[in-house]
Amino acid sequence: MRGVTTVFLKEFKEVLRDRRTLIFMVALPIIVLPVLFNGVASFMQSQEKKASQEVLKFALIHGENFPQLGAMLDADESFERIPDITNEEDIIPAIKLGKIKFGLLVPESSAEYLDAGYSLDVKLIYNNAAFTQKVVSRTDALINKLNDKLRNTRFSEINISNPLQQGGFLEPVTLVRSGYATKREKLGEQIGGFLPYLFVVFCFLGAFYPAIDIGAGEKERGTLETLLLTPISRTALVLGKFGVVFVSGIVAAVVSISSMAGWIYFKGANLKDELGEIFSSFGFLDLGLILLMIVPLAALFASLMLSLSIFAKNFKEAQNFIAPLQFLLIFPAFLAFLPGIELNWKTAMIPITNISLVIKELAKGTVDYSMVSIIFASTVLLAGAATFFCVKWFQREEVLFRS
Amino acid sequence: MLEVKSLSKTFRAPKQKKGEIIKQRNDPRESGKWFHAVQDLTFDCKAGEILGLLGMNGAGKTTTLRMLATAIKPSSGTAIMDGVDIVKNPMEVKRRIGFLSGSTGLYGRLTAEEMILYYGKLHGVEPQVLKTRMEEMFHLLDMESFVTRRNDNLSTGMKQKVSIVRTVIHDPPVLFFDEPTSGLDVLSAENIVKFIRQCKAKGKTVVLSTHYMNEVEKLCDRVTVIHHGRNFFSGKPEDLKAEQGETDLEEAFKKLVKGGQA
Repeated sequence: MRGVTTVFLKEFKEVLRDRRTLIFMVALPIIVLPVLFNGVASFMQSQEKKASQEVLKFALIHGENFPQLGAMLDADESFERIPDITNEEDIIPAIKLGKIKFGLLVPESSAEYLDAGYSLDVKLIYNNAAFTQKVVSRTDALINKLNDKLRNTRFSEINISNPLQQGGFLEPVTLVRSGYATKREKLGEQIGGFLPYLFVVFCFLGAFYPAIDIGAGEKERGTLETLLLTPISRTALVLGKFGVVFVSGIVAAVVSISSMAGWIYFKGANLKDELGEIFSSFGFLDLGLILLMIVPLAALFASLMLSLSIFAKNFKEAQNFIAPLQFLLIFPAFLAFLPGIELNWKTAMIPITNISLVIKELAKGTVDYSMVSIIFASTVLLAGAATFFCVKWFQREEVLFRS
Repeated sequence: MLEVKSLSKTFRAPKQKKGEIIKQRNDPRESGKWFHAVQDLTFDCKAGEILGLLGMNGAGKTTTLRMLATAIKPSSGTAIMDGVDIVKNPMEVKRRIGFLSGSTGLYGRLTAEEMILYYGKLHGVEPQVLKTRMEEMFHLLDMESFVTRRNDNLSTGMKQKVSIVRTVIHDPPVLFFDEPTSGLDVLSAENIVKFIRQCKAKGKTVVLSTHYMNEVEKLCDRVTVIHHGRNFFSGKPEDLKAEQGETDLEEAFKKLVKGGQA
């Protein structure tokens, strides 16, 4: 159709000369993802490191009733006893003040229980809402060591020396867990919903300013009327403009996906732990498919945003119209982020959410390709309908000359 | 050559919001949910002639010009422009008109050259012709020094020259000016007046809508007064003065319009 390319090229040139657009379309997607990933990865690693190496301060109440425990804790250099806390009531305030990490409470009748060979309850008081639960695992390990010692004494008292027999005595039946999910699947479930959310947000942000600028912006500047008087059809005009908004959204999504791919390739794969293993199992095919799923979504966004923008009288009004749309479009993408929401025939019916879920499945590596093609096709149809509406909308005098 | 034949345009009237005190619009054009912006308007303008389109704010001038320029469709009636019917063949009409209004803006992030090139292409001007025409006009209007600068960085006078070139880059036989000098200082307005005269000299058909009666007296061969969307007068400015018994065009116009109000 005559004029589409001319309009597209001109509008795109203008968009590329707009600093705001460039920030949202290129700079932000390039920077945000690696910074976010790096931040999360290094934060997690440093927390792990800190939690496993940190000297844990603690208070022991009524330790005199169970000298073995105190001796063992004192012998371990990774624990440090704070002796001036002697009351149970002081433990929680001390934890809150950061003076100690946990408190241990030995019952008064400990000696009798131990002598009788009963089980003794030592209370561990700690903040169970803390980020890492190393207090529990490290005190557990210590108590286990203590238990081993006490057990051996008790077994020798009743003359059971065969370790197998000892095991059978302690736990006649053991449940051995064997989960078949790969690490990637597990992590994909946790962060897989977050990725499409990010891509969708970037796609939206990338298209945001161009949409406003070439719709309402053109009205505000007083150039729209002149443009409408040129001998090219309004369909050609709107398709050229649509193309620019669409491409801007795609560019933003591609930039964010490539920036993630680059990060995985150069940095993520070098991570020594699980995280690195998972990131390096991402193939380029997966990334390509994710991008492919974004394409009809970008078209849907572009036509809706452009329709609102051309309806608005000016830049400001367009911003007010499109901001709520943001919520409407990004919220379904966010749904996939929630734990427990899975791709099935029901969720496949929700537009945008289904795309997010497909991307999540792609991240997990457990995707059902027949589902993917159906969702892709339905989103293409939806985007087509929205674009058709946008084209028709553009023919209306009361839209173009709304004042 | 332009012949306007009983042109009418009806809009849906803006809805009254609930609880809003009903405004005394006092406009006979409003009837129920319809607003007859322009009714049965007939006038003509010959090649080499400048027709002044006069009327108060909201009289229907811009609506008329928009219909003639095929930006909006007439509800009934039509106009023949350079032999082409505006209702039957709007695309052909678009090739034949240049439109300049006082509120026309420029693409700030494009250079003057890029913008002219864009409109030239949209109008389907042959690339070679476009190139020569641009060079000629840039030279004629003394624009060479700034055509490669972005429009945002141009002065008002420079911007106006860009607008002028944009209006005539496809060499249209018919030109519409919708309050082209509103808000301009005397010198900038003079640029536009000069340009309108050149158009006339080249034998173009020119329709000028304006509020400035001195402009009308300087430029217009004939005037059409629109009031409440209807043609109140068509003829020479002198005839309007004579008819109203006034020596001043502005007074004559006021008298005519006030008579229509009563």
